[in-house]
Amino acid sequence: MSAKKILVADDESHILHVVSLKLRNAGFEVVTAADGQEALELAISERPDLLITDYHMPQLSGLELCRKLKQDPITAKIPTIMLTARGYDLDLKDTQDSGILRMLSKPFSPRALLTTVNEVLLEAAA
Amino acid sequence: MRFGKILSILMIALLGGGALCSIVSIPSAWHTGHWEIGLLGAVLFVTGGAAGLLAITSFRRNCRVLIEAIHRMTTQGTLHLLNTDNHEIRPLVTAVNEMVEAAELCMSEAVLKMKELEIQLKVATSERQHAQAIIYSISDAVLVTDTFDELVLANEAAARTFQFDLDHCRRAPVDQIVKDEKLAELIRDMRQSNSKSGRRIVEHKIKGPGEERIFKVTLSAVADNNDAPAGVVAVLHDMTREKEVAELKNDFVSSVSHELRTPLASIKAYVEMLIDGEADDEKTTREFYEVIQNEANRLSRLIDNILNISRIESGLVQINKQPQSLTIILKEALEVIAPQARLKQITLVEQLTPVFYQTSADRDMLYQAVLNLLSNAVKYTPERGIITVQTAVDEAKRKVIARISDTGVGIPPKDLPFVFDKFYRAESNNHMAKGTGLGLSLVKHIIETVHRGRIFVESHVGKGSCFGFQLDLCD
Repeated sequence: MSAKKILVADDESHILHVVSLKLRNAGFEVVTAADGQEALELAISERPDLLITDYHMPQLSGLELCRKLKQDPITAKIPTIMLTARGYDLDLKDTQDSGILRMLSKPFSPRALLTTVNEVLLEAAA
Repeated sequence: MRFGKILSILMIALLGGGALCSIVSIPSAWHTGHWEIGLLGAVLFVTGGAAGLLAITSFRRNCRVLIEAIHRMTTQGTLHLLNTDNHEIRPLVTAVNEMVEAAELCMSEAVLKMKELEIQLKVATSERQHAQAIIYSISDAVLVTDTFDELVLANEAAARTFQFDLDHCRRAPVDQIVKDEKLAELIRDMRQSNSKSGRRIVEHKIKGPGEERIFKVTLSAVADNNDAPAGVVAVLHDMTREKEVAELKNDFVSSVSHELRTPLASIKAYVEMLIDGEADDEKTTREFYEVIQNEANRLSRLIDNILNISRIESGLVQINKQPQSLTIILKEALEVIAPQARLKQITLVEQLTPVFYQTSADRDMLYQAVLNLLSNAVKYTPERGIITVQTAVDEAKRKVIARISDTGVGIPPKDLPFVFDKFYRAESNNHMAKGTGLGLSLVKHIIETVHRGRIFVESHVGKGSCFGFQLDLCD
């Protein structure tokens, strides 16, 4: 089976760098985006198996990005992990119909992220 | 004196004697024809009569004098003792005088009592007016209601908040006055609650003249002298501003937390990656170490910044004003900002006046302000832009003016009035740079509050901004 493709969206270059390295080292193919708009375009063109996105991004916020993806049948089924640095958790009802399966708050551990990625992909395959 | 008595006795004697003689003599005179006895009797009788008439006239004259004296007292409204030489009417005069004395005593007691009551009334009125004046001048709205939930007292602030006429509100039902069912209910409940010394504090929103405001309502039940419930006092304190400030503080804390977490997150992530051996080669390892160090430094600077701002604004930092050369301070700040500018290939242009123009200022604070402005200019100017730093002197007005202009993204007109507000960040420029939104607020504080200068800004979206300030020249 070919390597799973993961799209990572975050406006912070450090996060992008760390996450990409971790996932690539773990055998995934990684595509990166630095803002919400770029992420949307890449999601459509690259058809990733998983989306990891920050909540707070310029152009389009993580939540808006997920909602837009849900609306398009091509991207509607992409499972999403959301990273958030806000002091509070997003409301459950905000995330219900957005495809967000997991939320990780920053600072997060790359280890934990990898575990979550594997979990989500397993669930999606089942 | 004696004369009266003698006259009286004589009169009685003569009258009596005369009468007797006449009565006795007339029949004998009739019989004997001796008219002399009868005549004597008649003479005696007449004399007695005359004497009596005299006595009566004298008595009546004295009485008249007395009556006139009494009448005078009545019309003049004054009481005074009467005098008489006449012993006839003396007992009467004495009696009248006693009465006058008693009446005078009564009156003076009554006058004293009245004066006392007048003073008490004055004091009570004055106290009541004072209490009312105090209530009227309280800046919080005060409503006092009675046992029927009718308005007894209200002040200016209440009239303004609830928009009613202070002169025509007495005894009006309170729910009509406040036009707010929830508030009227609160007052009713307090009155019925039967707790004499109870107090209840509630937050209540009111749609006043303008936008909605939040009030802290303190309700107290009032008891009268017999401990029976006498009504309710409601004091409404406008806490809208306090809530706003609390919210700002909260936002600040969130904002700061966010800012601090970001470099921390990087450090943690890279350290973990190193531990897990994710860095395959020497180059990557070195890169990781550098990132960790940079982020640690960034975190440290951030914390210093935040503490600094906090301390300066709360007035904890000692201000030390000395003659300073603005030109020198600007030159120093430019040197510090130069590396960052170089990274973005931004050109720095200096147009500074001679050094000797000085202003009385706290060097560190002014340096901080200038650095903030320069740092902003670099942040919000894209690559290959130009930042110009100018100073000028107005000798006539004794002012020195500094201008920092950039060819950056500019600030939209709608954001311009708010740029110096704490935490304010122009939404549209969020993508250019990160910040807490505190930098300009600090600059404004330093220039205007600490140094009594003036700060200004001009900006055009897409063209750039010019931030400047004006300070007094040293003599």
